[in-house]
Amino acid sequence: MEKMLAVFFAGVAIVLAPVPVLSADKPWSERVIGAYAPFDPTAADTPEAAKALIERGEALFKGKFVRQDGAGRPDATQAIVPTKRRRPALEAFQRLSGPDANSCADCHFDPVLGAGAPFSGSAFVSEGFESADFDTVDPQFSNQRNSIALHGVGLVELLAREMTADLHDQRKAALAKARETGEAVIQPLSSKGVSFGSITARSDGIVDFAKLDGVDQDLVIRPLSHKGVIVSLRQFAVNALNTHHGIQAAERFGARWTGTADFDGDEIADEIGEGDVSALVAWMATREAPGRKAGLPDVWRKAAAAGEKRFAEIGCSQCHVPALPLESAIFADPGPLDTAGTLRETEVARPIGLDLEALEWVKALPRDEKGRILVPLFGDLKRHKISDQRRERLGNELLAQRFVERDVFMTAELWGVGSTAPYGHRGDLTTLDEVIRAHAGEATDVRKRYEDLDEEDRQTIIAFLRSLEITQ
Amino acid sequence: MTSRRFSRESLLAGTVLLILTPLAARAQAQTHAPVPHFAEEASLAGIDHKYTGPWEFFVGGGAAIFDCSGDRKPDLFIAGGTARAKLYRNLSSAGGALKFEEVPLDLPERLVEKVTGAYPVDIDNDGIKDLAVMRVGENLLLKGKGDCRFEEANRAWAFDGGRAWSTGFAATFEPGKAFPTLAFGNYVDRSAPGAPWGTCHDNVLHRPRGEEGPDYSDAFQLSPGYCSLSMLFTDWNRSGEPALRISNDRQYYRGGEEQLWAVPPGRPPRPYRKADGWQHVKIWGMGIASTDLDGDGFPEYALTSMGDTKLQTLDKESEQEFPIYRDIAFDLGVTAHRPYTGDDSKPSTGWHAEFEDVNNDTLADLFIAKGNVEAMPDFASYDPDNLLIQEWDGTFTERGMEAGIALKRKGRGGGVVDLNMDGLPDILVVNREGPASLFRNLGGGTADNPVPLGNWIGVELHQDGPNRDAIGAQLSVKIGNRTITRDLQVGGGHASGQIGFVHVGVGVAERAQIRVRWPDGDWSHPYRVFTNNFVRIERGEADAQYWYPE
Repeated sequence: MEKMLAVFFAGVAIVLAPVPVLSADKPWSERVIGAYAPFDPTAADTPEAAKALIERGEALFKGKFVRQDGAGRPDATQAIVPTKRRRPALEAFQRLSGPDANSCADCHFDPVLGAGAPFSGSAFVSEGFESADFDTVDPQFSNQRNSIALHGVGLVELLAREMTADLHDQRKAALAKARETGEAVIQPLSSKGVSFGSITARSDGIVDFAKLDGVDQDLVIRPLSHKGVIVSLRQFAVNALNTHHGIQAAERFGARWTGTADFDGDEIADEIGEGDVSALVAWMATREAPGRKAGLPDVWRKAAAAGEKRFAEIGCSQCHVPALPLESAIFADPGPLDTAGTLRETEVARPIGLDLEALEWVKALPRDEKGRILVPLFGDLKRHKISDQRRERLGNELLAQRFVERDVFMTAELWGVGSTAPYGHRGDLTTLDEVIRAHAGEATDVRKRYEDLDEEDRQTIIAFLRSLEITQ
Repeated sequence: MTSRRFSRESLLAGTVLLILTPLAARAQAQTHAPVPHFAEEASLAGIDHKYTGPWEFFVGGGAAIFDCSGDRKPDLFIAGGTARAKLYRNLSSAGGALKFEEVPLDLPERLVEKVTGAYPVDIDNDGIKDLAVMRVGENLLLKGKGDCRFEEANRAWAFDGGRAWSTGFAATFEPGKAFPTLAFGNYVDRSAPGAPWGTCHDNVLHRPRGEEGPDYSDAFQLSPGYCSLSMLFTDWNRSGEPALRISNDRQYYRGGEEQLWAVPPGRPPRPYRKADGWQHVKIWGMGIASTDLDGDGFPEYALTSMGDTKLQTLDKESEQEFPIYRDIAFDLGVTAHRPYTGDDSKPSTGWHAEFEDVNNDTLADLFIAKGNVEAMPDFASYDPDNLLIQEWDGTFTERGMEAGIALKRKGRGGGVVDLNMDGLPDILVVNREGPASLFRNLGGGTADNPVPLGNWIGVELHQDGPNRDAIGAQLSVKIGNRTITRDLQVGGGHASGQIGFVHVGVGVAERAQIRVRWPDGDWSHPYRVFTNNFVRIERGEADAQYWYPE
C-alpha cells in the first residue's frame, strides 16, 4: 500500500509539474550540463585539451543547475549510498536537508570562486539514511559544516595518495615479515614525517589496530572534508552533486548500481556523465594553492615572521605542519583509491593525466633536497581529538560522521586561513584567536601555551596566520 | 565503462507515456545488473579431476570447500565416485590466477573411493575443520589434523558410518551440546526387495553424547526416508530452533514428498505433517539453496529438480507457526527449466544450487549446476549451468552465456566461493564424467586485467568453546538503510558444503556496519568496517579484525 501511494503521489507530481523541454543548443539556454559526457582518457593529453577540460569544469562549478539538468531529487535522499526517500519531497530545495544550492559556487565563492563561504553559506550534513528529512538545526539531525576553500586541493589529494601508499607498503612489509618469521611484528606507521601510530601484524595475516592513530583502519588517508572522510575530489564531486544539487552522477546513481537511470525520480536520466565529473575534478584540482600575502607593511611583515616562529615554538606546527613533500604532481583521474560508485582507475583504459607541475604556481613552490615539491598546507592530513568535556566548542555536535567520533576532526589546513573567516567546522568562530582558544583534546597543551603567551606574542601568531591567504 | 541505457532526451520524450502509464513506463526503465565474466581455468590451476562411476554415482559429485592448511584460503576436497577423492591446497595469490596443488590424502585407499560428497565442519572444536564424507557404503568422519592432514575418526567418535548410499548432509549445534548434531541423507536402498523403486533408505540423525569428546553412538532414524539428495538445518520461522529441510528425489520414492523435520532440543525429531501446514510437494529434489531474498527476515528456498527449479517463500497470508510455502520461481524468473542456449529444448536437470552475490551489487544471485543424469533421452543433454543474476526489481535474468559458464558438461556439486581472495566469488563445478570446472570471476574485465564490480566484505566469525565457527549465526550487514543478511549453515547444495569467509556484496557502500546474531540468539554490537576487506569478528571483542591475504 505504501508503495502504491508513493507511486500515486509521484505520478501526481509528474502530472502536475512536467519538466518542460529546454533546448540546450540555444545560446540563451539556461541549462548547464547539456549532452551526456562520457569519460575521455585523452581529455588532458594536450595543453589545449587540458585547458578546455578545466574551463568546462569551471562552467559546471559556477553554473546554476536547472531542473532540465537534473537539479532536485524528489525521490532520493542526500545519502552517499543511493537511498530512496520514504515519501516524495515537498520542496525542490531545502536549506537544511537539501538540496540546498543549485550551484557549487553558492558555497564556494569567498573571497574568490572555489574558496569558502561565510556562515550563511555553510551546509548541513547528515548521513541521509534514517533522518534524511529535517527542518531544524538541532544537532541531533545534522552537523553544520563551513564550506572549505578548494585552493590547492589537487596537491592535497596527491599527498594523501602518496601517504596512503606508504602506509599500505608498511602494512604489507609487516605482514610479510610476520608470515616469514612466524612472529608478530609491531610496525610503526608514518609518512612524510607524520606518525599514524602503529599496527601489529600477526603471522596469520591478521592486523591489530589498537595503536592506530588518526587514520581509518583501512589505512586510507581521506584528505577532504572537516572530518577527513572523503578520499578524492571525484568522490567529493559525486557526493556533493547529489547532496547539494540533486544532480546524480551516473557512475553512482545510474542503472548499474540502482537499476534505473533516474533514481531520484525527477524525469532526467543519467544526469551527469563521467566526463563532466572529470571536468569538475580537473577544475578543482588545478585551483592555485594559497600563498603568502604580498606587500605587507613592515609592522605586519615583522610580526608575521615572529609569529611563524612562535607558532612553531609553542607546538602548533606539530599538527599544522608547514609543508609536506610531494613526489609527483601528475594528477590521475580517476585516482587509485576510489571504490565502486565512483569511477575507478580499473574501469577505464587509462586515467586522465593532469600535469600539475606544468602550472606556474606549482613551479613556484619550493622543493626539498630530493626535488620533492614542498606543499605548504600547514596540515598533517591526520585526524585528532580536538575537543573534550572542558572545552567542547569544536566538538559541538551529536552525530558521529562516517565512523569518525564527534570530537575528532582532520587537522584544518591553514593555508589561506587569512582569507577564510569565519573559522571552525561550523564557521561559528569569528576570529582566529577564538578558534585557537577553542582547541582542546589532543591540542590542549599547545592551546595552553598559546594562552600563556603575552598578548603581543599572541598577536604575532595572528599576524602570521592572517598573512596566509588565497591569491586573488 | 558504465553505459547509458537511455538518454535524458529520450526520457523527456517518454514523459507523456509516464503520465499515461506510470507503472508500465517504470517497468521499461528496468535494466540489467552487471554481469561478471568468468574464465574456466581448472586445468591451468592444477585441478585435474573427474567424478565417475556407474549408477550409484549418477548422483553426488560434491566438494567441500574450506581451509585445511591454516592460511584462510579455501582449499578443495572433491569427491571422485569410483575414482579417488582428491584434496587440493589453494596456492592462489590474492587477485591472481587460480592455482592449486594436489595434497596426498594419507588415508587408506578404501576410504577415499566411492565418495559422493563432503561437508566441512569443526566437529571436535579444536579450531581445525573436520570433514563429513558421504559415500556409497560407510560414511566417514575425518578429523582435521592441520596442514591438510586428516585421520579417520569413526571409531574415535563412536560414529557408525553405516552401509547406505549417502547423498546428503547437514550439521547444526543444538543448545547445551558440546558437539554438532549431524544428519546424513540417504538415497536408494539397493538391497531392499524391488529396488530401486520405492526403496528409499531412512535418513539418520546423530546427536552427540557427553562432553569429553565427540560420541555419536546415538543414531536416530529419520523415517520415512524418501531418497534424499540434499538437507539443510534452517531456522525457517526464526524461532531460534533450526528444523531439518530435506529435498527428495521422486524418481524412486513412492508416496513421498519434500520434508521438514522439527528437531526440538532434547526431544526426538518429528516430521511436519499436513496438520502442521506442511504441503505436499513432489519434485526430483537435488539441491537446496537458502537466503532471505525479500528482506522479511524469513529465508526463501531454491530447490533444484528436473524441469522447474522451485523457489519457495513463506506464505504471508498463513499463520506464522505454519510452514506454508508459496512457489515464486515463475514470478521471479528462476524456473530455469530448460537450457538457455543451444538447440535442446528438453527440460533441464538441476543439481547444486547456491545464492551468492557474484557481481557485488548487494543482490543475491543464483547459481545452479546443471547436467543430464546420464543419458536420459527426455531431458536436455546439453544443459549448461545457470547464472541467474538478480535485478533491482527482484526478478532474475539468466546470464550464464554472457558470463562464460555455458559449457557442455554434466554439472553436479560445487560451490560459489572467492578462491583468490579478490572479493569476487569464483565457481567450482564438479562434473560427472568430465573435468571439474573452475571459473575465475574476472569482474568486468579479462583474465589479464580483472576489473572489480561492486564493493564487498568477507566476514569470518569466531566464538570460544563449542561451535567455534558460529554455525547457526546470522550476519546482518547494514549499508545505508538496507540490511543484508546471511545465515551461516552447513548443509544444502548438492553433496557440497563450505566454511570460510562469508561473502557479502555491498554495492557502492564504502563502509558497513555488521551485527551478528550468535547461535545462542545473542546479538552483538555493531562492528564498523571498511568495505573491500576481509574481517574477522571474535565474539565479545570491541572491534572487528582485518585479515590480509598474501
